[in-house]
Formats: sequence, structure tokens, C-alpha cells
Amino acid sequence: MIKLDRRNFIKGAGAGGASCALATMLPGTLAALESAPLKGVGKEVASICEMCSTRCPISARVVNGKNVFITGNKAAKPFGGKVCARGGAGHSLLYDPQRIVSPLKRVGERGEGKWAEISWDEAYQTIAKKLNEIKRDHGAESVAFSSKSGSLSGHLFHLGKAFGSPNHFTHASTCPGGYVVAAKAMFGTKVKRDLGNSKYIINFGHNLYEGINMSETRAMMDAQMEKGTKLVVFEPRFSIVADKADEWFAIKPGTDVSVALALCHVLIEDGLYDKEFIERYVEGFDEFAKEVKAYTPEWAAAISDVPAADIRRIAHEYASHAPHAVVDFGHRATFTTEEFDMRRALFAANVLIGNIERKGGLYLGKKAKTYNKFAGETVAPILGKPGVEGMPKPTAKRIDQVDEQYAMMWSSGGIYQTILDATLEAKPYQLKAWVMSRTNPMQTMTDRARVVETLKKLDLVVCCDVYISETAAYADIILPESTYLERDEEIADKSGKNPAYYVRQRVVETIGQTKPSWQIFKELGEQMGLGQFFPWQSMETLQMLQLNRDTSELRRIKEQGYVSYGKPLMLREPEMVSAFAQTYSNAKPVDEDGTYGSQLKFKTPSGKIELSSKKVEGMAPGRGVIKYREVDLKQDDELYFIQGKVAIHTNGATHNVPMLANLMSDNAIWVHPLTAGKLGISAGDAIRITSSVGSEEGTALVTPGIRQDTVFAYMGFGSKNKELVRATGKGVHCGNLLPHKTAPVCGMNIHTTGVKLAKI
Amino acid sequence: MSKRLIMIHDENKCIGCQACNIACRSENGTPDEVTRLQVRVEGPFGDAPNLHFKYNRVSCQQCEDAPCVKVCPTGAAYVGEDGLVSIKAEKCVGCMYCVAACPYKVRFMNPETKVADKCNFCKETRLAKGELPACVTACPTDALIFGDANDPSSEVVKILNTKPSYQDKTHLGTKPRLYRIPTKRGGSSHEQYLGRYGAI
Repeated sequence: MIKLDRRNFIKGAGAGGASCALATMLPGTLAALESAPLKGVGKEVASICEMCSTRCPISARVVNGKNVFITGNKAAKPFGGKVCARGGAGHSLLYDPQRIVSPLKRVGERGEGKWAEISWDEAYQTIAKKLNEIKRDHGAESVAFSSKSGSLSGHLFHLGKAFGSPNHFTHASTCPGGYVVAAKAMFGTKVKRDLGNSKYIINFGHNLYEGINMSETRAMMDAQMEKGTKLVVFEPRFSIVADKADEWFAIKPGTDVSVALALCHVLIEDGLYDKEFIERYVEGFDEFAKEVKAYTPEWAAAISDVPAADIRRIAHEYASHAPHAVVDFGHRATFTTEEFDMRRALFAANVLIGNIERKGGLYLGKKAKTYNKFAGETVAPILGKPGVEGMPKPTAKRIDQVDEQYAMMWSSGGIYQTILDATLEAKPYQLKAWVMSRTNPMQTMTDRARVVETLKKLDLVVCCDVYISETAAYADIILPESTYLERDEEIADKSGKNPAYYVRQRVVETIGQTKPSWQIFKELGEQMGLGQFFPWQSMETLQMLQLNRDTSELRRIKEQGYVSYGKPLMLREPEMVSAFAQTYSNAKPVDEDGTYGSQLKFKTPSGKIELSSKKVEGMAPGRGVIKYREVDLKQDDELYFIQGKVAIHTNGATHNVPMLANLMSDNAIWVHPLTAGKLGISAGDAIRITSSVGSEEGTALVTPGIRQDTVFAYMGFGSKNKELVRATGKGVHCGNLLPHKTAPVCGMNIHTTGVKLAKI
Repeated sequence: MSKRLIMIHDENKCIGCQACNIACRSENGTPDEVTRLQVRVEGPFGDAPNLHFKYNRVSCQQCEDAPCVKVCPTGAAYVGEDGLVSIKAEKCVGCMYCVAACPYKVRFMNPETKVADKCNFCKETRLAKGELPACVTACPTDALIFGDANDPSSEVVKILNTKPSYQDKTHLGTKPRLYRIPTKRGGSSHEQYLGRYGAI
């Protein structure tokens, strides 16, 4: 039994005097509750983290009746039972007095910060009435629905579909969309990397040691430390991954594509590529080879500042470890308008050495359906879906469906930032309302002023969140979601080389009036007269449906939290295939060469890996073949402005979490000593950073760990709404400095621009 | 033979992510204003492109000859049978001699209990239950290794026997039980580090 009174909450949060007073006065926050007795559901509960989008398996414990200690779930071997700082601080969010625990309605102007607590009934009725009016007058398509990806988004998008709107968006176009679309174009599906078995890793700013993805971070460190894997990093900043690399090249921002293409050039011209693999599995090699002929290391060196001899040597070293070598295709490198071809070039460097479905290379996820087919038996249950009948088919096109070139993005989260164009310029038609869940475009989208203008112009803005985020600060109604530590959710797929499932389970009983988002959107749907599309009664019903009423399997998954089925399988790895075939007596017959190579097919028009793509050429003329194009990121007298992840925070979400804010609440601007010297800036100086769209004040971090022509800041800081008491006004707001620009084909929101610095 | 519990911080594997810091706070209820443990990412040092960071674990070194114990007038600071430098809260009068005496600057007054405080390898919160210290449990990259240096089959002994290691400010004769494995980058001599951090 946990007993937490108001005094303890405040003490535990440790907010400064004045800000704390403001927080306690905010209606609808946890601090406004006079007492909140809590109960731990079990001693040790396996669940899924939600402090970032990696969603690692965790194990949470109630300690001394007061706190929750969170660590990794040991049953999930690839994650090692480990947890990062964000994951470990989850309980600090849970008990944060500044969390919202009651529905709120705006009582002042949008963004003014005046709120009143309302009942769920009033919140649902207000939203339902307004949305149905908008639908009647302007059509369902004039309402946009957006959510961060994961189990939560499914329920909001289900509501959006039942309502009849085609406009659903994730944050993909502000984050991973580029490599997702590039993979779709080349492989027909997403691909995964096997860093742990790689003998040589080439990395273009995928900072796995700061943007922690537990299984991959561990795999790469293990490869480096225990297996002697060489890591080469191309990044404009000396990040932690650059520090851990065997070689670091301070590449010029936005020129990654030139180095990737030069690597491909050397692989082809020096005959280092896997001809047999190309012949068997690849389409469009000749066109690619012809294009790449001009992209010599010398050519790339002039563009990127990476010496030609090094590019040539690295290509040879990389090829010498083929196929157990990999060029990491993401996450963040410097975003440019050539994001699509940059990602394709990175994939191409993998395809050329034939590392697909080989240890240490790239592979396709093996979900239950695929795995069972190979095994000839049901090794893992295939998850069922509720299958709701009679869902309306939207007649209108999506707002981002104006240009055929973006077709591959429409089903991969959409082009998020088109909500701004549709609202402000009625392009292609007028949006009237925006319903969002756990997304913070004020931080992650570019041109903050334009986001504000959009939110002010709409007839209705609804936000479901755990805090009054910078975006929620402009909502008409805020729906308080329970934190992940209070929620039960569907079983989620975590398959890699073999199938795996895991499940989010509540650790403590719900605090305040919060609800899980699946329930919020079901109840809102019912209020809107769409109850027929939400036939399930509880999360348990949905979980039972998923497992076809196999209660013992459901119990097993819940007890262990993470269940892995079968053994790892890579189709072109003879050892794995042989072990697989011996385990399952009805397994598909193995090829003569001891692999499943003949079974390797791709969901592209040709069924092969499309190094050059007729489909892309059709969508975006001139873009079928991977090509280098010059990009325009800044003016001559400006510095490149780039951003990145830090291990302590998640871009748009965690900056107000007490323990994390206490660790890091500011993002100083990295400036090279020579650049700083020229501008009369010393370490610790207050400086102004100005771009074409905005200006921010920050602190100078003078360091040799950045190029002379570049400045860097961690994302997510400098919130401007007063409700995020611990985060507001601290550091530089990156979104406020970035102009609104969209990359061809993948629709990525570009996060690189030019800035000027001045001492204040 | 009695146990000699030690911790190894492998600076090659450490990524400075602060997971240890958060795990420690969570398990031991450390107030926000103070800390039992942090890893300071210092630098980068060197000349580009040959830069390197230093990952400096700042926490109680569990000295075998502990200055804080020597100066404590009431016996609140003591070495237990387990060999760990510990604090008897009821004996602490808050004189702060121990805080001043610690050459590693890792003792502090807990603002809530008003008692001297520091890392004790999670002696009560975890070791007593047969669990590893919270920081070791959480560390994403296995940079922290904990065990009995008197047990020749333990992992800590294997590591100390096979990898170069150093301890901080050994010239003071404190015999710290926190061992560090220096990073390979930017020169591996630990004197370089000790020089930089004021020990020699």
C-alpha cells in the first residue's frame, strides 16, 4: 500500500520554490489532489517502457510501499535486463505533481495558460458535439488525427477511420521516415541490422550510444569490445559514438550521400562487390553502376572533407569483412532534401557486399506468419485482430496525397507537416480540427511560429497527454492519459530473427482520473455515435482476441512479459538454416548450398532488391536511379545548425520529468574554439542564435568536438509554455530555428539550416 | 576467507548515459540536490580528430584505509564486517568532518535526513537481498562489474588479471576499492589521467 500525500509529492519532485508554487496551483495536476493513496498491483511486474519510442521490455517493482524501481526484463535476452536513464526514471513521471490527472478545458485564449478542470463526460460531450458539427459542415476529412507510433496510435487512428477521415499521421516524417521509405523502395519492406555479429561497422551519425536503443546499443558495444569489430563514424560532431569509434571523420553536414556513393564506387570499380548476389537478387544494378562511375573518392573528398585515400581504404576494409559487415542506415544523419537518396545510397553499400540475410549484415524481420511457414508448423501464435465490420471508407484523399512522389509515405505515417499547409493555406483543402495523442509537433516539427499559427486557426484542438506539453498548451480540451506504468495494453510484436511478443501491464493502480488511451478513444467514439466500431469491452478482451482465446499462452506472456519463439533464422546463413531444419521436421527443404537462398523474395514490383527503381522513376521522374544532387542548407556567411539525441531525454517528451530535468535541463550550443574566437565568444557566454525563421538565446559550449563551420544543440529543450515548469525557457528551442522544408519522395521534415551567432 | 567487495568501472564500455545515476537515486531515494553517484563525461581532450572523452565515475571509492572513518568523532562512519565503509545514522552529529576529509569529494550531507551520506554499494537496499548494486544492474553496456576480489573465480578477478586498471589517488594510501579501466583512445597511461585530475 503506497501512501503519498501532497507534501511528499512536492518534496519528491524537488522543483524550485517559485516554479513549484505555480505547479501546485495548476488545476488538474497531480499536485492539486489532496491525497492519492496508491496500491502496487504486484511486487515485480513485467511491462514495456514508454519513455522513448524504442519501447524496451522492463521489470517494475514497488519498493517500501512508495516508489517503483524499474530495470530491464531479464527474460528479454537481447535487452540484457538493462534500462537507460529515461527508463529508470519512469516512476518520477508517475508521481510528478505537474502531471495532469483530470480532463481540462481552456478558459482563456489559446496558449494563454488558463485552464479549468472538467469531468470526462463534459470533455467527451464537448469534443463529440464539435467534431460532429465539423463533419456535417465540412466533411470528416477536415479533421486530422495524429499520434506517436505504437500501440496507442492504433486506437486513435481507429477512431479517425470510424469517423471517416483519411488524415492520420505519426511523427515519422520528422524522424525515421527517410530510411523507412528508402527501404520500402529497395526491399519492399523495412529491414533490420545485425550489429552484434558484424565485424566491420560504418556509421553515419547513428548515435546508438546517446540515442539508446537497448538491444542495438548493447549489440554494438559487445561487438566492439568482445569481438574486435571495427567501427568507423562519419559525423560533424564528436559524439559519444564518435568517441567510441576506431576512426572518426568530421564530415561536412549534409554530404553523407557523397561518401556513401564513393564507397559504392570503389566497391564496384575495384571489383569488390558480390557479383553472384547481385545477379541473383538485384534489379537495376547496371544503371546504378553507370551513375556511380563518376562518384570517385576524390570527388567525394572535395564535397565532404573526408580524405579520398581514407574512403578508398575503408571501402576495401569493409569489403574484406563481407558479408559480415554493415553500413548502418540510420537513425539520424544530417537531414537534407536528399534524405531519400542518402538512405538509398547507404542501403546500396550493403546490397553490394551481399550482406542481406547474413550474420552481421541486414535482414528481414521474421514474424510468426513467415517463421511458421518455414517451420511447417505453428511455432509462434499469429496474433488475431478484432476485425470490425462496416468501417466507413473515406471518400476524400489524404491532405498529403497531392503529389504522387510521396505515395510510399502515405501508408508509413504520412507527411506530418502537411497539417500546417492544409490549415493555413487550405492546401489541398481546409482542415478544421486536429486531434492528437502523445505527440509534440511544437518541438519536433519545424518553424514553431507556423505551428502556433496553425493551432490558433483551427476550430478545435484536442490533446491527449500526460503533461500540458508545449502543443497541449494550445488545446481546447486536454485528455489526461494514464502513464504507461498504469496501463494494460495489447500484446505487441517484437520479432527479430525469430518471433517474439511482449506486453505492457500496469504496475500501480491509476492515479487521479487518468485513463488509458484505448479507453479514452473508445469512450469518445461512443459519445460520437460510433460505438458500433468499438465492440470490445476491455483490454483483456482484445488480448484474448489476439491469442485466439489461448488463455494459457496469454498467462505465459503476461508472467514473463516477453516471450521469444524458436531460434534465430537468417535465410542465407547455412549454420542457422541447418539448425532450423533439424529442429522442425516439417521445415521447408533446404537448398543445395545449405541455405534458404531460393526462398528470399522481396515485396518490390520485380520481386528483387531494386537498386534502381522504375516504380520510383514513375512516382518522381528523374529519381529512379540513386544520384548525387547539391543541396542548399545555408548561406555562405552562416554556420550549419545540426541537432541530435542525448541519452537523458527523448526529443519532444521527457524534459519536464523531475529526475531527468534535474539531470539535464539545458542544451548549450556547441561551437568550435576558432569560430568562437572570431565572434568574440567565450565558454559559458550567453549567445544569440538566429536563423531565417527564428532567434533563440542560449549558452556557448566551446569545444573542439564540432566542425568550425557547424554548431550543434541537443533537441527538445527551450519549451515556451509556462505549464512545463521545469523545462520552460531553459536552453535553445530547435524547432523555432528550423525553416519549413520537405524532402522529395520521403516527405521528410528537414532539420538542418544555416544560423548566425552573436554574443549577447 | 572474508570477502573483499570491489567495483570495476570500464571506461571503454561506459557511454556516460547516466542510467547508473538514475538507478542509484531510485533505489536509495537520494534527494535531487545531492548525488551518490554520477559519471562525468569530461573533455574532449586531445587534438582533432584524435579526441577522446574521459568517463569519470564519481562516487565513494570504498577505501580500505578511509580518511572519513579516521576523522569521525562519534564512530558514525565505520568499516563493517563486510569491509564496506558505512554510516550509522543514529551516531552522526552532522559535524561534516568526514565530508571535508574525503579526498574524492563524494560524501555529502543528506538534506532530508541531515546525516552524512554516500554510496555504500547498495548495502542495505540490494546486497542484503542478494542483489547487485543498482548501478551495476542498470548499466546498459555492462561497464560496471561488481564482485569479491578474494574469490579467484570471480569475474572481477579475471578482469583485473587481464586488463590494465588504475585506482584514483593511490598515493594517498587510501587503497580504494573502485578500479577503473582506462579508455584505449588518447593514450592509455593512467598517470595521464591522474595528472589531469590533480592527483600527481
